[in-house]
Amino acid sequence: MWWGTLGFMVIEGWTTALLVASYLYFRQNYDAWPPLRTPYPSLLFPSINLVIMLVSFIPARRAAAAGKRLDLTAVKRWLTVFSVVVIPILVLRWWELWALNTRWDSNAYGTAAWTIVGFHTSLLALDVCDTIGLTLFYYLRRMPPKAYSDCSDNSFYWYFTVGICVPIYLIVYVGPRIL
Amino acid sequence: MTLSGETVARESTVLEDVWRDTPGIGGWLTAVDHKTIGKRYLITTFLMFLAGGVEASLMRTQLATPSSSLIGPDRYNQLFTTHGTTMMFLFGVPVMNAMGLYFVPLMVGARTIAFPRLNAFGYWNYIVGVVFLYVSLFVNTAPDAGWFAYVPLSGPAYSPGHRVDVWAQVVTFTEIAALVAAVNIIVTTFKFRSPGMSLNRIPLFVWAQLVVSFMIVFAMPAVATGSTLMLAADRAINTHWFNYTEGGDALLWQHIFWFFGHPEVYIIFLPALGFVTPIVETFCRRRVFGYTALVLANITTAFFAFGLWVHHMFATPIPELGESMFTAASMVIAIPTGVQIFCWIATIWAGRPRLTTAMLFVLGFIFTFVIGGITGVMLASVAFDKQVHDTFFVVAHLHYVLIGGGLTPLFGAFYFWFPKVTGRLMNETLGKLHFWLFLIGVNLTFFPMHLLGFDGMPRRVYTYSADTGWEQLNLIATIGAAIIALSIIVFLVNAVRSWFGGELAGPNPWAASGLEWATPSPPPAFNFLHIPVTTSRHPLWDTSDDLPVVTGLRTDRREVLITTTFDARPDHRHDSPPGSIWPLYLALCMALLFIGSIFSPWFVLGGIGVSLIGLAGWGWSALDGPGRERVDTGDEIVDMA
Repeated sequence: MWWGTLGFMVIEGWTTALLVASYLYFRQNYDAWPPLRTPYPSLLFPSINLVIMLVSFIPARRAAAAGKRLDLTAVKRWLTVFSVVVIPILVLRWWELWALNTRWDSNAYGTAAWTIVGFHTSLLALDVCDTIGLTLFYYLRRMPPKAYSDCSDNSFYWYFTVGICVPIYLIVYVGPRIL
Repeated sequence: MTLSGETVARESTVLEDVWRDTPGIGGWLTAVDHKTIGKRYLITTFLMFLAGGVEASLMRTQLATPSSSLIGPDRYNQLFTTHGTTMMFLFGVPVMNAMGLYFVPLMVGARTIAFPRLNAFGYWNYIVGVVFLYVSLFVNTAPDAGWFAYVPLSGPAYSPGHRVDVWAQVVTFTEIAALVAAVNIIVTTFKFRSPGMSLNRIPLFVWAQLVVSFMIVFAMPAVATGSTLMLAADRAINTHWFNYTEGGDALLWQHIFWFFGHPEVYIIFLPALGFVTPIVETFCRRRVFGYTALVLANITTAFFAFGLWVHHMFATPIPELGESMFTAASMVIAIPTGVQIFCWIATIWAGRPRLTTAMLFVLGFIFTFVIGGITGVMLASVAFDKQVHDTFFVVAHLHYVLIGGGLTPLFGAFYFWFPKVTGRLMNETLGKLHFWLFLIGVNLTFFPMHLLGFDGMPRRVYTYSADTGWEQLNLIATIGAAIIALSIIVFLVNAVRSWFGGELAGPNPWAASGLEWATPSPPPAFNFLHIPVTTSRHPLWDTSDDLPVVTGLRTDRREVLITTTFDARPDHRHDSPPGSIWPLYLALCMALLFIGSIFSPWFVLGGIGVSLIGLAGWGWSALDGPGRERVDTGDEIVDMA
């Protein structure tokens, strides 16, 4: 039931919002932002990754639609494509973290930025594992009809994970140039 | 449709076989029946209440006389921190969740809860938190920075060692448990209601549980963020959330904590307000006055509860405009609470009250809670708050609110629903003795604390000198605490005696109106032989002999009926999963991850790794069994008996 997924999206979305609010709260403690001559975050890797994430909506949506039709062949095909697309996202995230150009233990700014992106990485990793695991299930065993709704549940959570990445990108990576 | 006794017996046997947890130790570890989990929660939380009570008694004994050397300052710090942590995180919130997890499915006429395995997972997490805190207490590593763990005291500079780490992770486990319970109750209320139970027919107990579950979803992430992602990280990997020398901010902790901490109080007493209505209705033989007003008051209280947190911070440099705003909000919240009190008084006024033990506890609640509420409005004034900040006045206020608003109605609920859970009635004479001892004990303990606060006695001091003049009031408070302890012993004796030898209750000993009384006591594993159809807010009063039921659900597997969110029209059938070991396994993985993280960040990676195996196993095992089927209309499967 997607209701349960929705519940956890609210909890995780709210946690992210609290972290972002704390990040912005720190702004009042510094004259400049980023503080102490910390360079601006780099935009290259975060931008590339955001584009790939947005592109990944296509296989996610196709897999969900195939699940609704109970179309096993299409489910396998689109879940495989989906899995192939999400792996580089997780790999690129590593460089994205270092693109913050600060460390978690440098100062409060670095702490907040790293925690926001780090927490989001945990959501991302969870959904990547879920996607790959679900794909393997379809290859390893006969899936009962009720399990096909997992495709749309998985995609639903992925839309959320990518969706909250957009404000994170704007606030943590672009924001220091404006705030 | 009338079923013969033989058909009923056959169907009951088949359903029992399908729905019961597997017997034996394996079945004990894999149980998912919401009543089994609910009972475990109730028993464990009550044990925690006793543990917290013992800690309080030790502290009261220490403070009974000036310059007492019974307990040293270090042990005293651990005691008050463990007492607060236990009562708030291991008793207050989970016991209210437990009542919801046990009764919400029964009250909405469902066979089970929405996510039975998730429910078991939450309970095992809670157990990890309980064991972790109490093992730490016995090895002299219990937290000692207070139940709200203010920084910088709780930070790495002033609290070296692992005591505060224990607090941070105990909080994490209990938050996981509370969050999964909340999601479970929300989805059960929205999707598992019996046909006909539209939103305006939901019992007020369930409304209270629903509203509180939403509060948990928005409040608990704050403390989980504060304790795990911030405080524990500052202590383990040198982040700087609260380190002012690196731009961090100690006040951020207070904002994050109280954004959770103030709603927490309402999370504890709003469910208790849900207990009051059915008790008042049942023993006054009258439908509650102002159902809609009570629901709206519940929701309004929940909203306001999130706009008050700064009144815990009036002694910090908050802008004056902010202080005024939070003063106003703190006073405004008294209005919806007042509406509820007046609705119950009106119901009692217009009814014919029977003073059973449960009803006495409701009256005791109104008396005690109003005193706590009034001192709350006093504390909303900044000038007054600054005078009594961190004194025993605050201790008196919070205990009046939590004991009056949470514990007193909870005892009433125990007496009221005990026969449903155990099949036996509690002894009324012992019950009334418990009530009077408890009421006298509570007031004798906590009322003098207001005066001690006015006299300037700070909270959290392990002793005081004789020349302060605090001796007499402290002695009276300690005598009161002994009377409370005696009342709890009476309750325990009554509960144990009644459970094993009390008078048999039958399905509805109080002639109450809710659906939970339409099934035997204790309820069978499958809750209802046939899912009832709800035609009013008081189904057993309005249709006592001919309760309409749903037929057509399969009895040979765990099939449940899902209904639409607003009008509760039948929507589709859904298979509920059988018992599983994976919830326990995954909770142990969480233990490895969070407890291990205190010692090395590598445990986080290891914990995630083993968790993935658990998630895969959970997912794989959930796939076994039949699927779900759509039904076209409710009319086709609803068969009026």
